[in-house]
Amino acid sequence: MNENTAGKKVLSLVLLVGGLAGLIGALAMDFSHSPVAFRGPLLIIGAVAILAGLYFYPTLEHHRSIINFLFVFPLLFTFAVTVLIPLGLGIFYSMTDWNGVKMNNVVGLANYGAMFREAGFLWSVLLTFLFVIFNMVLVNVIGFCLALLCTSRLKGVGFFRAAYFLPNLIGGIVLGYVWQFVFNNVLIQLTASAFGMRNSVLAATPTAFAAIIVVYIWQYAGYIMLIYINGLVTIPGDVIEAANIDGASPLATLFQIKIPMIMATITICTFLTLTSAFKQFDVNMALTNGTGSVQFMGNYLTNGTQMLALNIYNTAIAKNSYALGQAKAVLFFIILACVSLIQVRISNSKEVEA
Amino acid sequence: MKKLFALILALAMALSLVACGGSSNAGGAADTSAAPAATGDSSGTTLRLVNGKIEVDAQLKELAAKYKEETGVNVEIESMGGGVDIQSTIKGYYQAGNMPDIFVNGGSSDFANWDGLLVDMKDEAWVQDTDAEYVDDNGAVIGFPYTTEAIGLAYNADVLEKAGVDPTTLTSPDAIKAAFETIDSKKADLGLDAVVGYCAEASSLFWSTGDHLFGVYIDGGTARDDTTYIDMLNDGGKLDEARLTDFANFVGLLNQYSDPNLLVSGTYDQQILNFASGKYAFVTQGSWIGATMTADDADAYAAAGNFKVGMVPYAFQDGMDTIMTNSPSWWAVYDGPNADAAKAFLQWCSGEEGQDILVNKAGFISPFTSCEFIASDPFAQTIADYVAAGKTSPWHWLNKKQGIAQNYLGQVFNDYAAGKLDAAGFVSTMEQVCQAAYAN
Repeated sequence: MNENTAGKKVLSLVLLVGGLAGLIGALAMDFSHSPVAFRGPLLIIGAVAILAGLYFYPTLEHHRSIINFLFVFPLLFTFAVTVLIPLGLGIFYSMTDWNGVKMNNVVGLANYGAMFREAGFLWSVLLTFLFVIFNMVLVNVIGFCLALLCTSRLKGVGFFRAAYFLPNLIGGIVLGYVWQFVFNNVLIQLTASAFGMRNSVLAATPTAFAAIIVVYIWQYAGYIMLIYINGLVTIPGDVIEAANIDGASPLATLFQIKIPMIMATITICTFLTLTSAFKQFDVNMALTNGTGSVQFMGNYLTNGTQMLALNIYNTAIAKNSYALGQAKAVLFFIILACVSLIQVRISNSKEVEA
Repeated sequence: MKKLFALILALAMALSLVACGGSSNAGGAADTSAAPAATGDSSGTTLRLVNGKIEVDAQLKELAAKYKEETGVNVEIESMGGGVDIQSTIKGYYQAGNMPDIFVNGGSSDFANWDGLLVDMKDEAWVQDTDAEYVDDNGAVIGFPYTTEAIGLAYNADVLEKAGVDPTTLTSPDAIKAAFETIDSKKADLGLDAVVGYCAEASSLFWSTGDHLFGVYIDGGTARDDTTYIDMLNDGGKLDEARLTDFANFVGLLNQYSDPNLLVSGTYDQQILNFASGKYAFVTQGSWIGATMTADDADAYAAAGNFKVGMVPYAFQDGMDTIMTNSPSWWAVYDGPNADAAKAFLQWCSGEEGQDILVNKAGFISPFTSCEFIASDPFAQTIADYVAAGKTSPWHWLNKKQGIAQNYLGQVFNDYAAGKLDAAGFVSTMEQVCQAAYAN
């Protein structure tokens, strides 16, 4: 027993020390631009050896915490690599003159100043908020109405549920191009013969904005409908039955029984539509690519239908101002973080009530 | 026993990770300057070329196969196009340590991204053979030209002949206006839908208006070494008001005589298909449409009798008799371990065997004076004629601030076409928009 422990201890120490040496050696080689091709495998072997050494370390006292750490490690590591480190780098880059290849100077908050002086960006922010408000209301109302239809005793309800949900399975880019074709080649035939309007609705800013909203509802209402259906079917049948016996009209049942019973679902759906409308990018890009002219704050702007996410993308990619785009992305992050925090708070308080 | 099994499984997984890491690392090693293993023997070298013209992907692969046959050097062609932002993709490659050896760059703002990372090719033999190489501010030759493209008002020679319009006289706005009026009056007899196929759609055709047509304002009728208007523009977005007014009137003419179904909400495919089908007398695109007409639209073009085409200048002022020709983009060599092999490949491309494929198969119009091949492209002859007569202007629109066509100019052309702006409004809006674009 004792020998076994001692052997294990030696093995564990060898693994720990060897792994650490491998890890540090590989990192040193990487930072000194060494051409040794083995440095990648060395890094991984080192990391694995450290983890194995930890696992074999013979201790009763710390055994539980070591195992806990080993179990959490993969998630922590992935979270750090994909979220924490990019977030830190992004905030850092937003204060430099980074152009996507290299950075020469740290410019402090200059990018943030430039961002708020740009009328086009302010317009994008305003437009995004408008879009969010329109969609939060419309998607929920339409999704809820569809859910009511799909929970009624109509024939072929299953088919309609699937049909309304289907647009959500198509990617936004594809959807955008399909609808662009509809607006530019099909709808235009109708408007040309009816009003003599030869320009597509996508050519003027207000109608183009309405078109984006329509497409977005078409894509998203089915998904929200599905959640509302789930909420509606969980309402106990006896409650509805009792209301019927008491002589409540269908409308009264809807407003006095059904809606109060699914308040939690409504909260979830409201925030789902809120955050996803904020992040709207693909349909916007495929449908109008942000074009459209508008008079705003005394300027003629050319990004009439460009929402925040697309504005960030265009600043970085099309205009090649990576650092400025990054600064805008930080603001975008702050807005979304606030929304999410409010959401979490409200959901939590609801849970306590229930 | 279970533990042993788990250990073996864990080891196997770790090993597979190592294997992946190893292969990607070999690529990573290529970006460090001294990799002796990679340059050791040339027959094992693999070059990677990022091509920006996806339409000639097959032809470039043929070129690579031919080169491998002769020298044993493997060239991988990686084609991008159809809306892919090539520069940002390559930036991603750079961050990942996965740089191609040769890649496409479209102009000064593209080249500026790679300052200090590209090979100066001024000692290469092909430099003596062309005047279309890209030279940076310090005199370093960092771009290899592979084709020539031309921007002019393309016309259907058959239609012009039937209408009795002589294209060589179209060197002033009045002459072009008169020609438009003549053709417009005979539209039904000539089987035309409209006189001009001009499309100012802003979300996907911004490059046609904001880059190419606006490029006519910058360089129309100028001498090859004249950089007046691009310098003005790059100095805070300044425009020459008198010149821009003439240009605006000319664009107004295009608006007036264009196909109304195409003008505001059309697509590139529609525009070229209708021109290839003989429905327009003129089309506002450059020489690259020849490839589309003879490939994608070959049936329609054949049905319309494979008519002859040519180009007239966008003569928005009297006496403008030049079309604009240039290399549309250049191949640059990344300063990595394969730089010498890449330079050798480009030298070979400029020679007879390389040009045979690039000109005769890919339809490029050679920028090299020693090349004797003439492409079968419908526009090759007209470009050759203008070049021989010395009646060409350069194009400098590639040197505009990046993204300005997509984010600013295209929309102004669109509003002008849709009737939301008049000529004076076009001029003042352009001035305001250019200043805004250069302000940030």
